Amino acid sequence: MEFAGSDRLRPAGRSLAAATALKILVAGGFGAGKTTLVGTISEIRPLHTEELLSDRGMGVDDISGVETKVTTTVALDFGRITIREDLWLYLFGTPGQDRFWFMWDELSLGALGAVVIADTRRLQDCFPAVDYFEQRSLPFVVAVNCFDGARRHDPAKVRRALGLDELTPVVMCDARNRASVKDVLTTLVTHAVGAAYQSVP
Amino acid sequence: MERHETVTDEDPGPLVRLFGLTGGRARPPGETFDLVAIVRTSRLPFEPAGLNPEHQTILSICRRPTPVADVAAQLGLPLNITRVLLGDLRSDGLVTIDPPQTADQTIDERTYREVLHGIRRL
Ligand SMILES: Nc1nc2c(ncn2[C@@H]2O[C@H](COP(=O)(O)OP(=O)(O)O)[C@@H](O)[C@H]2O)c(=O)[nH]1
Ligand SMILES: [Mg+2]
Repeated sequence: MEFAGSDRLRPAGRSLAAATALKILVAGGFGAGKTTLVGTISEIRPLHTEELLSDRGMGVDDISGVETKVTTTVALDFGRITIREDLWLYLFGTPGQDRFWFMWDELSLGALGAVVIADTRRLQDCFPAVDYFEQRSLPFVVAVNCFDGARRHDPAKVRRALGLDELTPVVMCDARNRASVKDVLTTLVTHAVGAAYQSVP
Repeated sequence: MERHETVTDEDPGPLVRLFGLTGGRARPPGETFDLVAIVRTSRLPFEPAGLNPEHQTILSICRRPTPVADVAAQLGLPLNITRVLLGDLRSDGLVTIDPPQTADQTIDERTYREVLHGIRRL
């Protein structure tokens, strides 16, 4: 891996100390296609885990008001794309549900942006994720996952149904298709650059 | 329906052992760190003793700066359990872990461009 002179080839200001990993979040309701999307684009076999979220309730439960010591777990998928030596992009897919928001708080800190997968058969399932990213001003795109048999949806209708502003991109997507997922991600990154440099006064 | 899978597809049985590794803790000790924070094995003048196999594997992986998520992938362990192990190693001075950073601290215009080209190239 290392070879003589490799340091001179490294662009100025880049060193091993500058190793950077970026995050993109993948949100959406159960069955919307999060695991599929991450798996389609990841260069490593995506890791699917049940994450232990708490060991003492942490206020994440409960209907009865009882602070239990029962552990809470959440499914989390992640995959990786290597951009270049010491620059990686990670995709994290996890359900957007009220009791998991503190997981999202952590995932969204420092994130490049998010993909909200909309399943047109259950559009309302992605409302919470849309609200969440809007409130935190995290750049996001809505990927309308085109399931077989589902009525073709017009992006403009989805935009209206989700109450999105004009700037938030809505793209049609097939989470099983690599070219389609690449399109979603490049749309997100392009949108995020715009958002980043527009907010500079 | 989401299946209730534990840990990895191949190896359904290590939960008890994982519980032993972390003492049931969901959170690492000390300052919080990100799921993609960069971890580096500290250069030490001695071989640390009394480490379990997971700790040893982590120290060997992180001789090269490695994101937390990748440590988890290589160990085949959940992220939060990996994080507890990393927090313990940090407490013992065996690794360093980058502090959390906001997007504008890590992503400049050039990085965006690199990421965009990187995705297009896939
Ligand atoms: N037709 C079609 N099926 C899909 C698409 N994306 C996912 N699926 C299927 O929908 C099911 C649920 O997807 P999954 O990725 O597990 O959803 P998750 O719960 O959001 O992780 C799986 O059986 C997928 O094969 C898509 O774009 N088109
Ligand atoms: Mg899933």
